[in-house]
Amino acid sequence: MLKLSNISKSFPGVRALSGIDLEIRAGEIHALVGENGAGKSTMIKIVAGAYQPDSGDIEYDGARLHNITPASAKKAGIHVIYQEFVLFPHLTVAENIYIGHERRGKLGLVDHRQTRRDAAELLKRLGVEIDPDQLVTDLTVADQQMVEIAKALVHKVKLLILDEPTAVISGREADLLFARLKALRQEGVAIVYVSHRLEEIFQIADRVTVFKDGERVTTADISSVDRNKLISLMVGRDLKDIFPPKRARADTGKVVLKAENVTVNGRVRNASIELRAGEITGLAGMVGAGRTELAMGIFGGLPMSSGTVTIDGQPISHMTPAVAIAKGIGFVTEDRKSQGLAMQLDVAANVTAASLIEITRNGLIDHGAEDAIAHQEIAKYKIACRGPATPVATMSGGNQQKVIVARWARTNPRVLILDEPTRGVDVGAKTEIYKIMNELALQGMAILMISSELPEIIGMSDRVVVMREGVVSGELTGAGINEQAIMSLATQHMAA
Amino acid sequence: MAKQSPLSTFVKRNRGLVVVIVLLFALLIFGSFISDRFRTTSNILNVFEQSSGLALVSLGQTLAILTGGIDMSVGSMISLLSLLTSGLMNGDPAMILPVTAGIILLGCMIGAINGIGIVMLRIHPLIVTLGMGAVLQGIALLYSLGPAGKAPPGFKFLAYGKVLGLPVSALFVIALFILVALFLRYARLGRYIYAVGDDQAGARLMGLPRSGVIIFVYTVSGFCCALMAIYLVSRFGVGQPYTGVNYTLASITPVVVGGTLLAGGRGGVMGTLFGAYLISLINNVLNFMDVSTHYQLIAQGLIVIAAVSIYVEKRKRI
Repeated sequence: MLKLSNISKSFPGVRALSGIDLEIRAGEIHALVGENGAGKSTMIKIVAGAYQPDSGDIEYDGARLHNITPASAKKAGIHVIYQEFVLFPHLTVAENIYIGHERRGKLGLVDHRQTRRDAAELLKRLGVEIDPDQLVTDLTVADQQMVEIAKALVHKVKLLILDEPTAVISGREADLLFARLKALRQEGVAIVYVSHRLEEIFQIADRVTVFKDGERVTTADISSVDRNKLISLMVGRDLKDIFPPKRARADTGKVVLKAENVTVNGRVRNASIELRAGEITGLAGMVGAGRTELAMGIFGGLPMSSGTVTIDGQPISHMTPAVAIAKGIGFVTEDRKSQGLAMQLDVAANVTAASLIEITRNGLIDHGAEDAIAHQEIAKYKIACRGPATPVATMSGGNQQKVIVARWARTNPRVLILDEPTRGVDVGAKTEIYKIMNELALQGMAILMISSELPEIIGMSDRVVVMREGVVSGELTGAGINEQAIMSLATQHMAA
Repeated sequence: MAKQSPLSTFVKRNRGLVVVIVLLFALLIFGSFISDRFRTTSNILNVFEQSSGLALVSLGQTLAILTGGIDMSVGSMISLLSLLTSGLMNGDPAMILPVTAGIILLGCMIGAINGIGIVMLRIHPLIVTLGMGAVLQGIALLYSLGPAGKAPPGFKFLAYGKVLGLPVSALFVIALFILVALFLRYARLGRYIYAVGDDQAGARLMGLPRSGVIIFVYTVSGFCCALMAIYLVSRFGVGQPYTGVNYTLASITPVVVGGTLLAGGRGGVMGTLFGAYLISLINNVLNFMDVSTHYQLIAQGLIVIAAVSIYVEKRKRI
């Protein structure tokens, strides 16, 4: 169906793909795995026409393709569901589903009633309850993902590519998706499935291709590999090495931050949480459970409608991010691109952004001192870059994340909040970020880690707080921290 | 999941239209208390007629802004085209048809060049159209430093003519707005205008004809400028090199007052039409209150800023 030969692609400073050969067959689900930055997304974008390859041939449906554009790829029956959705927030669900394939009646005019009806039908077939008249901007992220999937079913696709489709949806919706994919496979559609969740891959894929550092490591039948084999192919090391051994815990650290009965506008209700010095507290729950909102409320980034935050026993009356930072709270946001890093600026400027005062001489920035600090932090956190002057936009996700952690660590915060600290970060860099977190905790910092990855929560936390539908549904410590206990707290009433 | 009626979706998307109509009625009532002459039919018709030129330029501007762009060349384009209209007609009734057709074609071409420039050079529309505006203004001044030619007899009808007691220009403008509103709702290209404004990169990835959409909207804006130039010549009897100069900012006011987001992707032309009525009515009421035109300019500037700040998508505090 699709045959790539010797595809290469470079971006300024990065060789994203080198000499990729890959064959995708009709009627198979072909999984692509690899660490972030391994080249999967670049490859997808080349097939979709969003990027042009520097060299190599693409053969599709028995013919060679030249100069693919997104429009020509679509016409050829290639549909891509990108990790970053391609949805128009101010169009309705129905309008989004049929964009580019408008339902038309007399005179070629758009038939709104037909569009709505067909969209409703399609969503029903998919098994989700989404109102086709809603604006996409008003949907939850999970529903937006389902709309993206519905879009792929509108027209005859021959090659369907999905990039991390289950990152934001829960078990039931994922099952709906898998059932749909299996049906499409039956119809002879070639499916490329990119995911970090290896369990899924064993559940639905026929073959798997492993990418590493822009090269194809291997392609194998799924039955001939196991989980550990895949991981070691992706990383070149064993799974047990991913999480560092737990620190010898300081008995019971002093409570540094105490949030009581925090309510954030419809998203969080009466949530209380305590963070102790030297402890990593994991905040678990499903997407949309209100974890980020609780943390943002504590940090002053979202308005609290009620509740109190005390730091070292001192109540803070009006919390804003500026107050929070002054009181020693750091916040590493989930979306580092839009809420963390200045992407166009270099490593040095980003590392020193929260502690500019220490490199300011007579009111001016001392660039020599800035450089020195940047060198120091690059070495300390093993940030892979060409030097302090490297623009962060050109760096991989893991290294970008280290830059932000370094920035906050420089301010010597008492409390560090990390929201999904390893999202979009490759396995190697994950381990390093975990080590950094452990070191910071050992120095006595209180760490709050929000994470959707259970192994991460279990592997890193001294204490786990679980949220469900805006409330704290339970707290686990020590041996009580296990997958089952967390899942049951996270989903209790949702199954009903 | 709460089922949403198509009506509530409509209201949500057209908040601006609803707000503007409410304000319009409030102002009509307020005006009636200010002065007896305000309520007269002739005054209301006067406002109705005065608003048509502004509405016309704002129509093209609305489409440009819906795609996330802006057309800053409208003022100079109107000036140049009005000069050419009266200069070429020069009082000869036989020239009315060919010159009118030629000017409309020229307006479309200049607009298309704006669009092509934006697409090909990948430069922000603001810069492309500002540059184009300077070029056009220069050409206008090379052509004539003062009023040129004159309108032929009978050409006044376009601006002052009445059908069933209603100004023909205002009726024409309403018809044009309805046509464009229907186009936006029922033509695929109309849908794509919103999509491009909502998410440029997304529109490309979805294989939508983004370049075509952009060239189209600036062409429409050029078309509207040509109609405006012809209307002004009809109204004043002659074209002048600075006659359009105020319309660049003025054309944006009804658009943003009518609820179209400057960032694009949201809004519509009917909001703009009523926005133009509202602006004209405000000026009219201020006239009755004996407020000088200088203050009217100040009022307009403040209204633009207020409107944008009211409709701007409130970002979540982070």
